[in-house]
Amino acid sequence: MVSPRSDEILPVLKASVHDVRQFTSLLRGVNFANRATVTVTERGLVVAVEEARTLLGTAYIFSDVFDEYQYHSESQEEEQQEEQDVYNSAFEIQLNTLIECLNIFGTAGGSGSSGSGKHVQWKQSNEEQGSSDDEDRNDGGHGAEGKRRNKKGAQGGNTSLDLFFSKSERKTSMRMTYLGNGFPLTLLIAEDSSGPTTTCEIATFEAEPQLELPFDPDDMKLKVILKSSWLKEALSEIDSSCDKLTFIGNPPEQAHAERVSGREKERGRTRTKPILRIQATSMHGTTEMEYFNDRDVLETFECAGPGPVSFSYRFVHITRAMRALQTSIKTSLRIDKEGLLSLQFLMPVSGSRRNDTGGGSSSNFIEFRCLALDEETS
Amino acid sequence: MRFRTAIENPATFCKIVQAIEKLQKKCVIRFTEANIHIICASEANEGGMQVWSQIKVDSLFNEYRIQSNNNNEITVNISAEALAAALKSCSSNANRSYDTEEVVMKLAKKNEQAVLSFEILGTTPVGRKVRVAHDVKIEVLKAMDVEKLREPMCPEPDTHILLPPLHKLRTIADKLKLMSEILSIRASNNGCFQLSINTESVKVETEWRNLTNPKMRA
Repeated sequence: MVSPRSDEILPVLKASVHDVRQFTSLLRGVNFANRATVTVTERGLVVAVEEARTLLGTAYIFSDVFDEYQYHSESQEEEQQEEQDVYNSAFEIQLNTLIECLNIFGTAGGSGSSGSGKHVQWKQSNEEQGSSDDEDRNDGGHGAEGKRRNKKGAQGGNTSLDLFFSKSERKTSMRMTYLGNGFPLTLLIAEDSSGPTTTCEIATFEAEPQLELPFDPDDMKLKVILKSSWLKEALSEIDSSCDKLTFIGNPPEQAHAERVSGREKERGRTRTKPILRIQATSMHGTTEMEYFNDRDVLETFECAGPGPVSFSYRFVHITRAMRALQTSIKTSLRIDKEGLLSLQFLMPVSGSRRNDTGGGSSSNFIEFRCLALDEETS
Repeated sequence: MRFRTAIENPATFCKIVQAIEKLQKKCVIRFTEANIHIICASEANEGGMQVWSQIKVDSLFNEYRIQSNNNNEITVNISAEALAAALKSCSSNANRSYDTEEVVMKLAKKNEQAVLSFEILGTTPVGRKVRVAHDVKIEVLKAMDVEKLREPMCPEPDTHILLPPLHKLRTIADKLKLMSEILSIRASNNGCFQLSINTESVKVETEWRNLTNPKMRA
């Protein structure tokens, strides 16, 4: 904690990082509309972007993305009065401008993440918190997956993303300051100590009330967890002329039997009918993709019966999430009884974490929530 | 009026002309005994940018011979695009069908049309000799029109500074271009150079320090 100086306003936010790529990739994941609401909290930043009062994209950027992160509440008294009533500072900003500024030296990470396989990197510190994931992968025994894990084991070190990033030597470092309501967001950006420095002042706007799409986890109709690449490949097959996308879930009939014989994929596939279908509808016809009850593909599948669950969404809204989907590792797809879709993308973690000893590391993720189209009520 | 020279370094000449071609369709070239000057002074081009360049004859040519009634100077109006195309086929790395051995550029008259004629002698990969010729139409300017070409008077600069690596400068200028129409440039005598934009939504300033201020003759 920095002791407050009398001659100076204590900034609401002060953060710095020596490599902005992780931060930028999280911001890019929600960069589908220009205005973003940034909420500054003790634990990190929440960047929310909405479209048509229907779609809400939120990036949760925890403080350990940064090397240094300091937050001071704007209203000191409130904080003293009641600890539990946490006051967060929020402002609106032009997200595109922020990303352009971070990438001013062209070294804030590739703009297009078209390469697929290389991006898929597993988080290293999954021993204590990701134990259930480990189980899933172990009993899967999928070929490629095993290979990747072996390779990772051979590397040994605590770097996962650094391996992938080491291709380009140059890194952009930055220091970000936000003094408070009415002040611009100030960025100090440099590539190396000998090179140029860039100072940016990005105008902030007063945060307007945000769209709230509360998801009811107690009344969930469908829950699927799968590797992001499986969903990405399915969605990228769909022609952009489609206007409607439908997720259809069937309650698995032999869920228990299937789990036991998870290894015998071939038999399982022929025996069961698809438990998840993605249907894209355009003026010219429909495309349908089916997922069978295979634990290698669908790590978790829960569907509250009886009968199939089916909800439709506007395809353009789903495509807004493609950027985040491409960079993510794992996807959780949930639909509640109102048809509200929640897509959570687990983002890769860079190896350079300073604060991981204190308070446990948190996984950064991006969430998209989207309202269902009205016509479908089944 | 006579003019004939061998082009020793067609690739460099080609690059210079390609840069000019992007700026303006037609340009003026003045050949003198010691220099060639490529001039773009048309008011038509975007942003009113002008080019007044001076290239020493030795750096591009050899066996350079020039003769005219006007102080041994010849000034021509030429299509930059056509000139670039001719030079491109002269430079051997641009095409693989033959290796250039010799390029001669000369002033000629074909069917009452003044041309700048390029003769390329080369060898094909199988060892056959080839001869390729390009004629680029030109218009020789009269002494009176040449008089009208006057380099604009520029005030003595306040500072001289060596720019940082151009590719880095370009990356930054390209990003700033997306955010603002107007870019401001500042340089100081203590090696400081700044590029900045200032719009309603964002202010960005990139600063280099410890650049060199070369000593220039007054």
